[in-house]
Amino acid sequence: MDFASNITLSALFQQSLVGLSRTTILFIVASGLSLILGVLRIPNVAHGSLYMIGAFIMYSINLFFGGGQVGFWIAVLLSPLAVALISLVVERGLFQYLYEREHLMLLLFTFSITLVFGDLVKMVWGSDYRCVDLPAAFQGFFTILGFPFPRYNFFLIITGPVVAFGLWFLTNRTRIGKIARAAAVDREMVGAVGINVSLVFAAVFVIGCFLAGLGGALVAPTQNIRQGMDHAIIIEAFLIVIMGGLGNIWGALLGALIFGLTDSIGILVWPQFAIVFPYVIVVMVLLFYPKGLLKSTW
Amino acid sequence: MRKRMWLPVCIAMILTFLLTGTAAQAGNTIKVGIVDTYTGPASTYTNDVRDAFKLATDKINAKGGILGKKIEFVTRDDKFKVDIGLSAAKELIMRENVDILMGTINSGLTLAISDLCEKEKIPFLVTFAKSEKITGEKGNRYVFSMNENTAMAGKAGAAGLAKKPYKKYWIAGDDYEYGHAIADSVWNHLKTLRPDVELLGQSWWKVGEPDFTPYITAMLSAKPDAVIIATGGAGCVPFLKASAATGFNKSVPFYMHTATEMSTLAPLGLTAPEGVLGTSNYFYYFPDTPENKAFVKEFKDAYGRPPKVGALYGYITANFIAKAYEKAGEINTEKFINALEGMSIGSPIGELTVRAFDHQVMFPMFMGTTKKVEGYDYLIATDIVTIPGKDLMPSIEDIKKARGVK
Repeated sequence: MDFASNITLSALFQQSLVGLSRTTILFIVASGLSLILGVLRIPNVAHGSLYMIGAFIMYSINLFFGGGQVGFWIAVLLSPLAVALISLVVERGLFQYLYEREHLMLLLFTFSITLVFGDLVKMVWGSDYRCVDLPAAFQGFFTILGFPFPRYNFFLIITGPVVAFGLWFLTNRTRIGKIARAAAVDREMVGAVGINVSLVFAAVFVIGCFLAGLGGALVAPTQNIRQGMDHAIIIEAFLIVIMGGLGNIWGALLGALIFGLTDSIGILVWPQFAIVFPYVIVVMVLLFYPKGLLKSTW
Repeated sequence: MRKRMWLPVCIAMILTFLLTGTAAQAGNTIKVGIVDTYTGPASTYTNDVRDAFKLATDKINAKGGILGKKIEFVTRDDKFKVDIGLSAAKELIMRENVDILMGTINSGLTLAISDLCEKEKIPFLVTFAKSEKITGEKGNRYVFSMNENTAMAGKAGAAGLAKKPYKKYWIAGDDYEYGHAIADSVWNHLKTLRPDVELLGQSWWKVGEPDFTPYITAMLSAKPDAVIIATGGAGCVPFLKASAATGFNKSVPFYMHTATEMSTLAPLGLTAPEGVLGTSNYFYYFPDTPENKAFVKEFKDAYGRPPKVGALYGYITANFIAKAYEKAGEINTEKFINALEGMSIGSPIGELTVRAFDHQVMFPMFMGTTKKVEGYDYLIATDIVTIPGKDLMPSIEDIKKARGVK
């Protein structure tokens, strides 16, 4: 029905902008997942749960400080840290004993953690939908080429490159980042030169989970915070990581861009069957690049 | 060693089965089994059904029960999954020997349990599943619907939209049974009422879609006069959120069946969009009658929160059960069903009747638009118009046609 009748250049531009803001969230979550996968070799299904917990904590902190500018900023900064703290406990308490297990065991283990976290969230926050109100400065929209564009999405678009730069700096300019990259290539060698691999792993795990929490905190004001949001994101995040190349955070960026943009453009081009677009792209990419777009190590 | 360990375990299990089995039969009670979704997002609706059902049965039991028997109930969590819910229903019938089954919010599961109940000859009172097939195409002697369905909601939505001057429509919704059923129903009725309407296009998103901004901007580029949003449950809140963030509610009017319900509006606080057209079976602030006020007070005193639409379904279900058994005069399934057919009871929203032919409770629908009102920390429905239940019911001829009965 009316295939592609409403596509104008300005609509396309607008739709790409919306897609980019969505890409930011996908990138932040997927890069954390990819980092953990690359360095620790853990397919961390619980990453989605940490994202969900990040959103719920964002809600609680924002509520505690009475919302507005103050509550929002404190919540955005504190909730990823809180998630990082939770992940530190989980890593030191559980994961550090399991690194030598095979992939399937780790997958099952992280899956069981999602169930535990899911029930914990239900016990702490209950089953009602939660919403975070944006501070007044972020409410409303700009009009770009005749189309409304939410202010908060604009903020998200700016956040994306900032986080990407932070990750680049961490992995290329800091000691821990360089060690982490080395560990991703050859973990025995890193241990052999006298570095405490276990601590490096802990640090990388916490950083990866921090990103999950950040994604959750940033996404909280745009949707309803509820149980089940963990499953929705983890599927998309894994697809992005697989498409970009397992363990490569730049692959996660590339994958998130492709996924986010095909999703939003697909909605404009063929709204009735928009659901399939991003998944078709994933299939196409994997047909031609079975190991993902970028190399697994970087 | 290991083999020997199994023997005591098996004996213990068999003993437990026997003990619980006899205990269930010995009780001089009417036993109701509730299968519903108590995990995940849907539980925000189902908890109210259960709590109000308990409230009503406690009251009935305090007065001495029905025919000298007390009503007791057990619940099972179906986790919104058809296979889990169906085996829970079987377990309730076989092991717990329930007299009546109740639930669920999942339309697919409800249809499956309805089939089972027809075979097992157990009355099944549906609370919340909205598929019109339940009492329509797939209806049977043992299934009753204690809530409105997509056919009724669609008729109500179409009646409201037909009065507006809009011509060019867009339809968008959840890509599953409920979404398509309600969209088809609104659109088909709207076309009969207003043959000049035109459908520009449709958007369908996956259930649980978190971010609607790209869908809204894409719809705006098609420039429709109005949009029919066919999303339910967890989708309502983020959709309203995205429409407030993009100013969608100000540029394009839209109708969404459950938009005005408290489950949708309360979480959004005062940032929810104003002017959204929605329909619902119940508000705790409307109708402003002594019956409704008494019910709200009773519910608030018991649970510390105002009742949502699910509470009405749970409450009337308990009262229908009590009245039907009293009329039947004994605990007998067939007599219970005969009594329930065509029965009317008083309720917080006025008198409600079970239509004898298809076992559908004839609910009125309240259509209103969202608005900020002083004294509430969230938006409420205003300018409420009541559409009587008899105007919304699908005709008996249509149901006969759907069932293939000549």
